[in-house]
Amino acid sequence: MLGWLLTRLVGVVLAAWLLASAVFLLGQLRPSFAEQQALARTDEPAAAFSSPGQVAASQQALRQRLVLDQPAFYVTRAAGPPVRWQWHGLHNQYHHWLRGVLRGQWGRSLRDDQPVLEKLAPALAYTLPLMSLALALSTALALGLGAYLASGPLATPGRVALRLVLTGLQALPLFVLALLLLLLLANPEMLDILPAADLGNYDADPSSGRWLAAYFIRLALPLLSLVLAALPELTLPLAAALRHELASPYAVAARAKGVPARRLVWHHALPNAVLPLLVTLTGLLPALVAGAVVVEVLFALPGMGRLLAEAAATQDYPVLIAGVLLTAGVRLLALVAADLLHYWLDPRLRATLA
Amino acid sequence: MKAPRLHPSSGGAAYWALGWLALVAAVGLLAPWLPLPYSATAPDLANIAAPPTWHGPAPHYAGTDPLGRDVLAGLVAGSRQLLLLSLPATALATALGALSGGAAGYWGNHGLRLPGWAGLLGLAAAWWGLRPPLLVGLGVALPLAVLLVRYWRRGWAVPLDGLVLGASTLLGTVPRLLLVLAFAAGPPLGTGWLLVLLVLLAWPDMARLVRTQMRQVRTLPYVEAARAAGLPTGRVWWHHALPAASQPLRAFAPLTLAALIGLESTLAFLGIGYSEATVSWGQLLGELRQAPGAWWLVAGPGTLLLATLVALQSLARRSEV
Repeated sequence: MLGWLLTRLVGVVLAAWLLASAVFLLGQLRPSFAEQQALARTDEPAAAFSSPGQVAASQQALRQRLVLDQPAFYVTRAAGPPVRWQWHGLHNQYHHWLRGVLRGQWGRSLRDDQPVLEKLAPALAYTLPLMSLALALSTALALGLGAYLASGPLATPGRVALRLVLTGLQALPLFVLALLLLLLLANPEMLDILPAADLGNYDADPSSGRWLAAYFIRLALPLLSLVLAALPELTLPLAAALRHELASPYAVAARAKGVPARRLVWHHALPNAVLPLLVTLTGLLPALVAGAVVVEVLFALPGMGRLLAEAAATQDYPVLIAGVLLTAGVRLLALVAADLLHYWLDPRLRATLA
Repeated sequence: MKAPRLHPSSGGAAYWALGWLALVAAVGLLAPWLPLPYSATAPDLANIAAPPTWHGPAPHYAGTDPLGRDVLAGLVAGSRQLLLLSLPATALATALGALSGGAAGYWGNHGLRLPGWAGLLGLAAAWWGLRPPLLVGLGVALPLAVLLVRYWRRGWAVPLDGLVLGASTLLGTVPRLLLVLAFAAGPPLGTGWLLVLLVLLAWPDMARLVRTQMRQVRTLPYVEAARAAGLPTGRVWWHHALPAASQPLRAFAPLTLAALIGLESTLAFLGIGYSEATVSWGQLLGELRQAPGAWWLVAGPGTLLLATLVALQSLARRSEV
């Protein structure tokens, strides 16, 4: 199992490197207005007082600092007949970028010249609690609802309604779901019970209960959207697996022995039915990052997803690449976590390894 | 293997779904000739973010958006956008996925051998395409040519399986939405490039599915019988194995179409990769941010989007049976 896990991890790392490189090199191909912005900023304060020569010099200095004056890749091809190839050696933007990433220097944002990591850290501090809450809540709800769906006849009104709602939710893209919630729950003309946007009420003391309450109320709508969007994908397969387990001979035997229904579901069937859920969870973690993009843009939360959406809108490639790498890292973590959980939940794996 | 079909006994839902999709497609096809009072892109500056009205000389039946554009015309333009972008993207991805996945499942990593001369041909094409500097080119090409001559007899195994699985792993690492965000950053892409991007993201999943099915199909007695009867390999693959191996796509293609429509609407909603001039359902929904409380911006496009996606899903469920 260790070898298998290692192969997958190497695969993810390789994929992350290839994807980030592709984004980087594609970014070099397209005319970048973030770069233009960065260059234009140099002459804003200076333009009134300095000569054109000085402006050009400061722009040149900025180009050098952002390594824009070097060729994009190890080799470049000069277009036009005759086609010529040029070898640039190690002094190129790609090499510079790669070396930086490997050393933990992820570059600076082209938009406001802040180090990428400094921009990411506060955004992550906002997004990580949101994501882990969404993950925990949706898993818990999926377990409960799955057990409910599986533990009785399918045709009761409650189960039929629940299935209908879940299949409806499955079809709905996250942004439509979030829009609907926004329109229903945070609209002065409908129910105005939750705040629509982050109003920035940070004045209270962070350790006080009021701050915590305000924080949760602010997160309620985004959290609800994320949980509702993730729920069908988790619940429906779990319910099907549980139903399958409950029809198997060991469940019949347990029932014949007089095991209560609740204990049968939670204690006997669930450990066997929960394994496919782990695979879904591996995909769910990265999907939550994508969900954060939508939710944070809509509810104006200062998190990771909004940072990425803004970076995409302004072609801020260093931030975008950091986002791609970070998401790949999340996937890596999810893979490891799912495999460890699998190992913990399935005693047969332990036997083969020992 | 009996082909699953839409059967009357499979319930009315599939017919409702097909009917709805046909309606959307017809509206999208006929969009330029529909008698609409307004065009989808021209703003009516006298009515900005106006609620629906049904009286007056030229009413906005479904209201207007914050730019003063008619929502009804936008809905029609949005269904045309589906026909122009999501549908071709799904069709291309399905074709590409079936072919590559079918080849990967049938031949595996070692089954398909190109003849020796194909390597030399590739080398010559690469030389012509790249036109490397003479010395470097010779330095690389001569050893390669020596190798090619050595392998002339055995031919070249194409690692199809590895390629398909690698592409699938590569694109599965990061969610599609983030990849599209990263690749479509900056000035709006044209419809053509967006199409290429969507196909690129959608085909590996399909290829994987067909590959798995093909590995089972190729061991079935009728395929072995076809091989034993001496039919050419290409014919066995194309005529006998591939149709059976592509069966899962009947259910998966509608699901992919639904996923791509969702992805495309999300992009339009975020306003990335799209120009302001392209009107789509997602974009109309996104404009709610400029006019909070304008329920008519959500009601129309949201209902259409939801109905289309539910129809596609129920179609997928029906053809699964």
